[in-house]
Amino acid sequence: MSADALETGFVPERDTGVSRAGVLRRLARDHVAAMAGLVLIGIVLAALFAPWIAPYDPYFTDLTKVMRAPDAEHWFGTDNTGRDIFSRVLYGTRNTLMLGLVGAIVGGFIGGALGILAAYYRWLDGWIMRLVDIMLAFPAILIGLAVAAIFGAGLTAVVIALVVATVPDVARVARGAAIGVMGQEFMEAGRAVGVSDRELIWRYLTLNCISTIFVFLTLRFGQIILIGAALGFLGMGAQPPTAELGMMAAQGRDFLFMAPHIATIPSCAIFVIVLAANLLGDAFRDVLDPRLQT
Amino acid sequence: MIRIALGRTALGICLALGVAGPASAQTLNLMKGIDAPHYDAQRTTWGPTSDIVNMFQDTLVALDWDGKTPIPYLAKSWTISEDGRTYTFKLRDDVSFCSGKKFTADDVVYSFKRLKDPAIKGPFAWRAGNIKELRATDPHTVEYELEEPFSELLLQLTMFTNVIHNKESVEALGKDYGIKGADGTGPWCFDHWQPRTEIVLKRHDAYKWGPSMYKNKGPVKFEKLVVKIVPEDSSRVAAMMSGQFDITHQFPAQFITQAKAAPMLTVTPAKPNFQLLYYGFKTSRPMVADRRVREAMSIAINRAEIAKAILLGNADPAFTFVDPEALDFDPKTKGIVKEDIERAKVLLDEAGWKPGTDGVREKDGMKLAPKIYFTANANSARVAEAIQGYLRKIGIDWRLQPWDSTISSVKMAEQDYEIWSVTVPYLSAGDLMNIYFDSANIPTPNRMNWKDAETDDWLKQGRSALTESDRAKYYALVQQKVTREHLWMPVLNINMDQVASKKITGARPHMIYQNTFYKGLDVTR
Repeated sequence: MSADALETGFVPERDTGVSRAGVLRRLARDHVAAMAGLVLIGIVLAALFAPWIAPYDPYFTDLTKVMRAPDAEHWFGTDNTGRDIFSRVLYGTRNTLMLGLVGAIVGGFIGGALGILAAYYRWLDGWIMRLVDIMLAFPAILIGLAVAAIFGAGLTAVVIALVVATVPDVARVARGAAIGVMGQEFMEAGRAVGVSDRELIWRYLTLNCISTIFVFLTLRFGQIILIGAALGFLGMGAQPPTAELGMMAAQGRDFLFMAPHIATIPSCAIFVIVLAANLLGDAFRDVLDPRLQT
Repeated sequence: MIRIALGRTALGICLALGVAGPASAQTLNLMKGIDAPHYDAQRTTWGPTSDIVNMFQDTLVALDWDGKTPIPYLAKSWTISEDGRTYTFKLRDDVSFCSGKKFTADDVVYSFKRLKDPAIKGPFAWRAGNIKELRATDPHTVEYELEEPFSELLLQLTMFTNVIHNKESVEALGKDYGIKGADGTGPWCFDHWQPRTEIVLKRHDAYKWGPSMYKNKGPVKFEKLVVKIVPEDSSRVAAMMSGQFDITHQFPAQFITQAKAAPMLTVTPAKPNFQLLYYGFKTSRPMVADRRVREAMSIAINRAEIAKAILLGNADPAFTFVDPEALDFDPKTKGIVKEDIERAKVLLDEAGWKPGTDGVREKDGMKLAPKIYFTANANSARVAEAIQGYLRKIGIDWRLQPWDSTISSVKMAEQDYEIWSVTVPYLSAGDLMNIYFDSANIPTPNRMNWKDAETDDWLKQGRSALTESDRAKYYALVQQKVTREHLWMPVLNINMDQVASKKITGARPHMIYQNTFYKGLDVTR
């Protein structure tokens, strides 16, 4: 779903009639969403408990066992420095998910704040939206490359790029939702009884926009992960020995003929995470977006 | 629908074939992975400039296949005064530039004066020695007078930095010299350059002064030489396998085995070839100021494993700074670096670095986690990662920081890191020692900040030695000292392979400054 579509779809939360239990019930009824949710939960748990699940130290190199195909000893084989790929995928998933979450949360927070402020203070609207337009003009990958060129490759460069990539879209969505709320009678009533700006922004405006922003971020989460992995693939992200799925795929790229598993296994892991995140995001939208409720 | 699909496929094939152009019998197609910033040899140290410059410009002396012996080229003979300060070069009288202008002693005088002109800021100007005066005593004689003897002058004069330029061409092109054109006496003439895409050279029809190392004295057998830039490793492999190019010396090392097995390709290693991949220690940084820490890192790795597993056999383990085959190598440096992981741990303990709770050693509240700078490319990153793995086992946490090639030299000139890595091509022990260990070269290329009066004195004595044995003696002393101090961690002597189409013959790879093609006089199809 595009940001534009969401911009016009605000209905105050209390009118949707969707409770937390109701959301979960509806998600469970959608088999694809349920499956995606289970897969994502499994991935998150595996990532969280990686130190206990991983059979080997993900950083332990053994140059006498390089590029071994998957077997009973190394389920996913070994990479070009003899490290166990299964263990590295577990740790890599952890870093990849962390990047996605940081990008979504920080980008969502900044973008949401900018969008709501633009809707509430109309004199700020033009400035903020032009800033957002400028940010939209730079692809996240380009920003990541620029940041890495200046400060050096690393997770910081990726986080900055992901945040910058997330902020403008979230800001536009939040602004659209907030403008809808601004037209509601309870906002007018709040003003009439002398509620402070801070209260109005937080209790009346922000709390009524959060579900819209959340839905948008769930949809966006897969994309953020994909951008993070792409930057890792280009060498701008985590640096060795840190495991990160995009970087692991890149490391295997030059050995595609000799040991295709080095690149394909982390790539498959990225695919599964992004697919599960996207399917779950779609399901969340279906449940939380009132226009789609029948 | 099928017709449209077939049409698209045919168009695609035509476009694909068109990338390299039709393989004309009169065109030789070369491929490289990286382009140069310009082709003015006096203003750069850049390897990708050197190979092209060697094709269209010439030096007074050429370097023979053994990588040690200077042989006559534009200078047909020379004499050296007893005090080693004056070289008298007798020049060939049958040489002309691509423009048609006759080559004379004035061109030699002009070229070296330009090289020493401070405005040029020639980074390799030292390779021409400390010139006192250049005199053209007649149109084909040059007296080359030095302030002090320079024992490696002839060897250094083979380098691309010292090629002969045509004053008229330099002045006519101004700032565009080496970009839009450059005149030369080489077997090929500069035609045009499209940065990051291709450089095209044409046959120098008048050329007939090829050095004795080639059977063909000239002209070359092709009308045109097209050098394409293909940065991506896999694309270079595919392009060679599909016959789009005739020769490359930048075939990715990890695919050399496939190239050897390919029925249409020939792989020829450049022998000898002096290219050292090393890690240098910034001795001014607390983490690596102690010799024992540097030695511990150097002996905790397994070079043979790295050569086999990471470079897939396309490199040899390096235990000395200078290749044993290189001029003035000192055999006494052979036993200094002895791999022994247990001794490495003892050395670190003795130096006061004790294992912390996370396994990383600590001292005075500082973790032994040095920052490593290197240029981001496949081999450097893989080798660094492998070493990182070894050093984790002794409690050292190498923090790798790759830099893009466009910025790496600038970053490495800074002081806020501990270790760096480059792969350096060199001609001889003296060449390598003088560049890196003379305190006059602090902060770069002497990034170790190694300031030692004894080293400086020996280097000076080696440079100004009047006999080969004296030169070897002083360079040996330097090698022993800097190796015992473990200022570098030598890791691999990198092989350089020329991959050529089987349709090509006579393409013998040279080793000078990562440049296999050199003059390419014997290449035929």
